[in-house]
Amino acid sequence: MLTYKFDWAIVTSGKYFDWIVSGFYVTIKLSAVSIVLSFLLGLIIAIMRMSHLRPVRWFAHGYLEFFRNTPLLVQIFFWYFGSYKVLPAVANDWLVTQDFEFAAAVIALTIYTSAFIAEDIRSGVRSIPKEQMEAARSSGFSYIRSMQYIILPQAVRLTIPPLINQFLNLMKNSSLAMTIGVAELMYQARQVESYTFKGFEAFSAATLVYLALSFIITGLMTLYNKKVLQPIRGR
Amino acid sequence: MVGGLDFSVVRENLPYFFLGRYPEGPLGGVALTLYLAAISLVLSFFGGLILGLLSVSRNRVIRWGSMAVIQMIRGMPLLMVIFWMFFLLPAMLGSGMSADWTIITALTLFTSSYMSEIVRAGILGIPKGQMEAAVSTGLLHRQAMLHIILPQALRNMIPSFVNQFVSMIKDTSLAFIVGVTELTQIATQINNRTMLYPTEIFLFIAVIYFIMCFAFTELSRWLERRLAYRKAI
Amino acid sequence: MARKIGVFVLALAMVGALCGAALAGDTLADVKKKGVLVAGVKDSLPPFGSVDPNIKKYVGYDIDFVKYIATKLGVKVEYKPVTSANRMPMLMESRVDILAATMTKTPERAKQIDFSYTYYLTGQKFLTKKGTVKSLKDLEGKRIATAKGSTSEQNVAKAVPSATVLSLDDYPQGILALQQGKAIAVTTDESILAGQLGMLEKNRATKGKYEIPDLQISMEPYGLGMRKGDTNFVKFVNDTLLEMEKNGEAKKIFLRWFGPNSESPINRGIFMITADKMGLE
Repeated sequence: MLTYKFDWAIVTSGKYFDWIVSGFYVTIKLSAVSIVLSFLLGLIIAIMRMSHLRPVRWFAHGYLEFFRNTPLLVQIFFWYFGSYKVLPAVANDWLVTQDFEFAAAVIALTIYTSAFIAEDIRSGVRSIPKEQMEAARSSGFSYIRSMQYIILPQAVRLTIPPLINQFLNLMKNSSLAMTIGVAELMYQARQVESYTFKGFEAFSAATLVYLALSFIITGLMTLYNKKVLQPIRGR
Repeated sequence: MVGGLDFSVVRENLPYFFLGRYPEGPLGGVALTLYLAAISLVLSFFGGLILGLLSVSRNRVIRWGSMAVIQMIRGMPLLMVIFWMFFLLPAMLGSGMSADWTIITALTLFTSSYMSEIVRAGILGIPKGQMEAAVSTGLLHRQAMLHIILPQALRNMIPSFVNQFVSMIKDTSLAFIVGVTELTQIATQINNRTMLYPTEIFLFIAVIYFIMCFAFTELSRWLERRLAYRKAI
Repeated sequence: MARKIGVFVLALAMVGALCGAALAGDTLADVKKKGVLVAGVKDSLPPFGSVDPNIKKYVGYDIDFVKYIATKLGVKVEYKPVTSANRMPMLMESRVDILAATMTKTPERAKQIDFSYTYYLTGQKFLTKKGTVKSLKDLEGKRIATAKGSTSEQNVAKAVPSATVLSLDDYPQGILALQQGKAIAVTTDESILAGQLGMLEKNRATKGKYEIPDLQISMEPYGLGMRKGDTNFVKFVNDTLLEMEKNGEAKKIFLRWFGPNSESPINRGIFMITADKMGLE
């Protein structure tokens, strides 16, 4: 008879607790860095996607379709194991002296997420009435300037809820960085399991952390909808 | 860029990429990826339907209970769901569960919780007056839901379902973690063996995944346009 | 929200209680009844376990031992790929009947599963680019790659505490990291490293560029893993191993994969399969 003895103490204090906590920090760091970069990249791609120049538009479209329709895990493997043949030697030499695992995870997560964010921004922009652009252009703004001062600020405000949603996805997706040795939460939970054979406790602890993060982020989104968006839309 | 790459490794292993060890051993590669995704999708459709209906139930306990389950699964990374299934299923069901089915169960559970939201939104998107009208003609609430509301809601949901299938194909890549020999696992195997061509191998499977997913994305767009057109008449 | 979490914890606890009910049955009888022995093996780790690309079949040192045991039982073999990280759960949850996956016998592991007599003895070393590492000192503060959940990971952290241990899913990925300069060395058992070195030697681009310096940080006796308390099966496997040593089969298998003409030649030295416990006595 094989009986499983619970030992919750290992994940509530001591060395293994510290592992889980450090994993939590890495997950937060990885998600935070990637969401900022994804937003910037997503913004650029979205603007390119709406450009008047056909090649630019096509490039952005291809980018969107390709990276949205490829598994993140494969992208992570590609950047970690495969990028050395496509990156310039200088970039590669510099990267390997850095924390390459973390960098590869950030690159993969950023590129993957930016493709989704770009689409969110585009639909945000499209929901702004056309007349606003026409009005801005006729009052002497250039295309870029009217985007910058009139359309984008409004679009971004509308894009924030889907953006928070993407952040939530990103946080969950960051668990895949485990496969290339980034010591984030899931990696640490598995590490605790292989050192103590107490997988049940380790995964419960990690699950609780993920759920807590998810609830907080979802809560923020609800709050934003109520306090910021509803008053605007209500008018 | 592609000039420096040597794709002969892909050419030499082509059947292995698509079929795995079949016919010497079990089916693997692209074929297994599609198989896992298809089975999980069918199961998720029903799972999502059931969870979705429960989450609009008039009974508060059922409604809250099912919403709690849905939110909990949605709050976890898929990888976590897979690990849980890997741990819990054998404990609950004995040893009969293969790794393939563990993955199918995890994918089904995960996707059902996302699909239930689509179902819920679809049902809530049908004007309330329809339910009232149906009930006033003497139908029970349950009958009205089944025969009047659901069929309309389902039609609107078709494009979203196809989109879920795309996510599902991508998600099957995680099966690699528990040693299921689908496309990604096959790629790592070949990569481990040949060692010098990670760029070529991962680029190749990225393209394969892209082709599969893009085909279904286009299908969903086509369906969306077609359904919108039919509705307009 | 607090209530939601409460319900969740309760549900977890309930399922956890069910976990306790898993039984260690009689594998020997089960396997005979099923007619199939399910073996957890490595799938890309020559010379122990890998899929031969030409015949699409599993081959290797571990595989040959499993085959012999299955033949003796009069059953077929079904191979399931495992990694260092997931092999213990695979066995404990009855997804496989036996593990033949380059697994070192340790007292901690022996608390969870039962091991056979040592069927392979090796030691942990390093694989590096030629001339980069001469002593453990050269590894200090550097990045060393290995596999998650392996004894190698735990040993190297003790032997070179100042090094950063890069834990990947399995060893070949460590070799990739080494090739690309992401780590200065890959560390694990000499036998596995020899296999990887053999593959590097086969390739024109990497031939003659790598080596295994003579730096050993531990002894690694491999055992076949079986479920705890599965006494009949353990006894059967142990008897079979002794028989293989006696009739020369064990040595034949060794020579096939590690002999002078193999791709990863290693000296068997004085090693013999004996009725040992942890392999260290």
